[in-house]
Amino acid sequence: MSTAAVAHRRKRLSEGLTVTQKVFVRSRNGGASKIVREHYLRKDIPCLSRACRICPNIIVPDAKNELPKFILSENPLALANGPHYVVLDTNVVLQAIDLLENPDCFCDVIIPQIVLDEVRNKSYPVYVRLRTLCRDSDDKKRFIVFHNEFSENTFVERLPNETINDRNDRAIRKTCQWFAEHLKEQNINIVLVSNDRLNREAASKGDERFTTRSLYEYVELLPNGEDIKDSIPNFESSADNIKDVDAKVEFSFPEYYSTARIMGGLKNGVLYQGNIQISEYNFLEGSITLPRFSKPVLVVGQKNLNRAFNGDQVVVELLPQSEWKAPSSIALDSEHFDVNDNADADADAEDAGVESSTGLISDKQRRLLTQDAILAQKSNKVQPTARVVAIPRRSWRQYVGQIAPNSVDAKTGGSQNVFVILMDKCLPKVRIRTRRANDLLGKRIVISLDSWPATHKYPLGHFVRDLGEVESAEAETEALLLEHDVEYRPFSKKVLECLPAEGHDWKAPADLNDPEMIAKDSLLQKRRDLRDKLICSIDPPGCVDIDDALHAKRLSNGNWEVGVHIADVTHFVKPNTALDAEGASRGTSVYLVDKRIDMLPMLLGTDLCSLKPYVERFAFSVIWELDDNANIVNVDFMKSVIKSREAFSYEQAQLRIDDPNQKDELTEGMRALLQLSIKLKQKRLDAGALNLASPEVKVHMDSETSDPNEVEIKKLLATNSLVEEFMLLANISVARKIFDAFPQTAMLRRHAAPPSTNFETLNEMLQTRKGLSISIESSKALADSLDRCIDPQDPYFNTLVRIMSTRCMMAAQYFYSGAYSYADFRHYGLAVDIYTHFTSPIRRYCDVVAHRQLAGAIGYEPLDLMHRDKNKMDMICRNINKKHRNAQFAGRASIEYYVGQVMRNNETVEAGYVIKVLNNGIVVLVPRFGVEGLIRLENLTNDVNSSQFDEVNYKLSFTSKAGEKKEVYVFDKVEVQLRSVLDPITSKRKAELLLEK
Amino acid sequence: MSRLEIYSPEGLRLDGRRWNELRRFECSINTHSHAADGSSYLEQGNNKVITLVKGPQEPSSRSQVDTAKALLRISVNITKFSKTERSKTSHKNERRVLEMQTALVRTFNKNVMLNVYPRTLINIEVHVLQQDGGIMGSLINGITLALIDAGIAMYDYISGVSVGLYDTTPLLDTNSLEENAMSTVTLGVVGKTEKLSLLLVEDKIPLDRLENVLAIGIAGTHRIRDLMDKELRKRAEKRVANALSR
Repeated sequence: MSTAAVAHRRKRLSEGLTVTQKVFVRSRNGGASKIVREHYLRKDIPCLSRACRICPNIIVPDAKNELPKFILSENPLALANGPHYVVLDTNVVLQAIDLLENPDCFCDVIIPQIVLDEVRNKSYPVYVRLRTLCRDSDDKKRFIVFHNEFSENTFVERLPNETINDRNDRAIRKTCQWFAEHLKEQNINIVLVSNDRLNREAASKGDERFTTRSLYEYVELLPNGEDIKDSIPNFESSADNIKDVDAKVEFSFPEYYSTARIMGGLKNGVLYQGNIQISEYNFLEGSITLPRFSKPVLVVGQKNLNRAFNGDQVVVELLPQSEWKAPSSIALDSEHFDVNDNADADADAEDAGVESSTGLISDKQRRLLTQDAILAQKSNKVQPTARVVAIPRRSWRQYVGQIAPNSVDAKTGGSQNVFVILMDKCLPKVRIRTRRANDLLGKRIVISLDSWPATHKYPLGHFVRDLGEVESAEAETEALLLEHDVEYRPFSKKVLECLPAEGHDWKAPADLNDPEMIAKDSLLQKRRDLRDKLICSIDPPGCVDIDDALHAKRLSNGNWEVGVHIADVTHFVKPNTALDAEGASRGTSVYLVDKRIDMLPMLLGTDLCSLKPYVERFAFSVIWELDDNANIVNVDFMKSVIKSREAFSYEQAQLRIDDPNQKDELTEGMRALLQLSIKLKQKRLDAGALNLASPEVKVHMDSETSDPNEVEIKKLLATNSLVEEFMLLANISVARKIFDAFPQTAMLRRHAAPPSTNFETLNEMLQTRKGLSISIESSKALADSLDRCIDPQDPYFNTLVRIMSTRCMMAAQYFYSGAYSYADFRHYGLAVDIYTHFTSPIRRYCDVVAHRQLAGAIGYEPLDLMHRDKNKMDMICRNINKKHRNAQFAGRASIEYYVGQVMRNNETVEAGYVIKVLNNGIVVLVPRFGVEGLIRLENLTNDVNSSQFDEVNYKLSFTSKAGEKKEVYVFDKVEVQLRSVLDPITSKRKAELLLEK
Repeated sequence: MSRLEIYSPEGLRLDGRRWNELRRFECSINTHSHAADGSSYLEQGNNKVITLVKGPQEPSSRSQVDTAKALLRISVNITKFSKTERSKTSHKNERRVLEMQTALVRTFNKNVMLNVYPRTLINIEVHVLQQDGGIMGSLINGITLALIDAGIAMYDYISGVSVGLYDTTPLLDTNSLEENAMSTVTLGVVGKTEKLSLLLVEDKIPLDRLENVLAIGIAGTHRIRDLMDKELRKRAEKRVANALSR
């Protein structure tokens, strides 16, 4: 967008309101159009300083009849020349948003509107963080936005021949000037913090009354400046880093293409855009799924990856055919790669991948290349490769890692460059500059990335904060939550204010027709009283957030009345409240081994909503009439009030059902439920539902020291599947109902059929090694062929295949019904045509939405607009899908960590299975602990060169350390020695596997 | 599409107005005294509209004769240059424009004393020179002014304005940027009453919020009525002064 301004007359409308015109020219697709917009200037924009005596008289209320709050402190922090407020320039916000969020510096900050606008245009995520900072910073940080563009006092008109940037800089200076004048009597100074030298110079040239500092200078002025300096972003050009430029670097990445060239290339079809995925095993190999190709396109080698991070949006160009190759079968991670690089010198090192030697290829040739590439993917194992030529969008966030000890010079007291090795092994090392390198050794630290200039082998970042000692439970848990982007801070005051005032004393009303209660809650009369039903809940032992309860009763016509009762969370979580917004953003509760991160505050989750026994609770009930064969005769949905008679654990329930002496009505009901659930399950399996496996283990904690001491594989009882079957049934029934009522925006869950390419490798392995195959035409065929995958000698083989095929599956996802056609709603794994999540509203946000939609569908209360709007539903779905995935990863990582802690104390020999054979090692899964690990070739043999890798037969042959010839195939059962080791470089504890004998 | 701050947490809109503020409203009547019996020129923000009223006059064809009352005909001409991008078609027989015409005729049919002028035709032409959102409200205001200028008997003013609903906040007198970002309601209100002669809802709006939206809309139309009234009285005084001095 290019603009050209025309000075415009102003017109006074009334006292304190004038209007002018903003005129600019926008060029789009070559054409130019002139845009004229009105721009109103007003006098009622307050400075929001508590010290101000003038502004409280000019403020006006907003649409909710609330007056603006005065936030800036009366006694702000005093620097050498008196108390001060800070005004920020755009470049400071963009570069140092982490620093702004730091609670120890930057209090009483004024953000001019023009800065906010510029930030929003440059980076929306930073804008969101800045806005959050202003919203939540009431008493601690005191950030305000000053609408300088709309204030008659600070609006500046663009001069002829002035660039838009100069004009905006001038607007910022004008704002500073006005604030300085305005607060003159209060003796509060204004400090403009800007990293733009020209802006600073322009400010000091005029006779302005405010001071200007660069970020570095400003931090130096602060009393606690020394501690904060480390967190200043690392930009090679900044003055304090000049020394580095001298350290001449021979290594350099190829420069990125210009925007014009990329636009052209994408249009012509010679460049492609997609998200890059770095291989789990090899951090120098990435793949990109592109719509034109049936398989992902490979990007191999440091130079070809060209500074791309895992998850970045990149633009790639195909390499000539001579450089196409099969995906590498080498395991490589950043911590063991180039370990000896010096953090200061960035020495040149041999590239592990292939240097690109693209030379000159015309566009026409490139298009032919694409044709070849598509063909090649179909036919053989050689994959087209590509190189990254631009990175339109970075996926950078804050990362957790630890300082590489060998990059620290222990003798230097001052600041030095050190490497930080990130937890995520798909990512390269990061160079940071810190003065506390020695203090931070052996600690988990959070860092933020700043830039990756082409002349640097490693990206530049800066220190944000430290989490604590490596291996301490708190630091590891926090690191894990940060790495998986799980919000774990306590609920804010605004959220807690949305909870019922009665707190734990809240009670369901005794009489639903009590006029006094109806006056409080007009919907009470629509609730059904089910307190006479014999309802019980069955959950894992020690469960405190009880989502669901069940009952069954024989009807007079011989059919069964079966009820599933779900905690009525939406009675307490109303749409458009802070509580709802918090739940929606958290998306799900996260379960770690020693900790639970709740989606909703404790009061709701474990008390008011939880269907605890012996107390009356609100519920959302689904009641079916089922015949003896578990066919649905009728289904009814209602909001209700229930009283659970008992809360069983799975085991207790099983015992009670099995005990022939128990003949009471409740037990009879449970027996009926069990019988019906068995029939339901059979029907599901007949329809082709999959029975997949994952190596799930549970860690037992010592009850006194809360140290983990035992690992156990999760057991399944018949009562587990009792509950599960009815939950599935409820979810399906609800999905049909809400889809019926809201065909465009119903909240549903789908599971796509896996593309056949996903199973190719597994099938080939099965074929060559066992003569078996998996058919994936339908879920039924898959289920049957999985049943056939049996090795008579090894009962575990079937489970192993199931585990491996689970990994080939697509992930199930939440979606709104308008996003796909009905045929694509199908849930492949469960073999049903439509599905949703309804039964765990305490811990999943999807269920909350489903509850609201069901309440709307049965006419209980009108559905909020938020859940009838496709765009908003799309945002919700996207968020909960992401959060759900992160929560799963976090949970798994937590188990992995604790399993490591268990093994630390006892070294064992266990049976394991080879699930992948690589050129330089094998990957082994140990079912007993649910861990898998790579055994490197160096650990298998003394003579690395003696090994032979047979790619066709998935075989690795080598001379073992004892000197005998050995061959290892995929699926082989091997004895492995298991122990947990602390990696000296990453200080990460992980299970190390060694082949026994 | 850049993500705009339609209504900032500080309570300001894209163009610097607050939620309950009208755009700049300027009008004049009798602007085209030679071309028509009644005329008006109206600027509501960046909406610029010329309205010409011809009649009551003899209908050109017999089919247009109604023995009981006058026939009201409104044609809306949206010029090709009225938006930022010049459009290729004249919007003459577009369905959207035809619908606007029908809605306008219905709005004014009940309010103009058509029975006073039997067997005649009242022809109204509206020319939109520039548009910037909420055009329907501006058309209503322009027609009211031109009808009064033509001296045609009416029961009361009709003033129009559009109101948007952004999340839970109603925004008065939406411009085109706001109109594209949210659902809006256009209303035409009779005089200083709360009677609606037009309620145009083209997007979804939750029923429980509509009351708020209408309340602020009615307050806005009353303010517009006062602005039009002031201009008309000023004009009338000038005419009286001219007549007396002659």
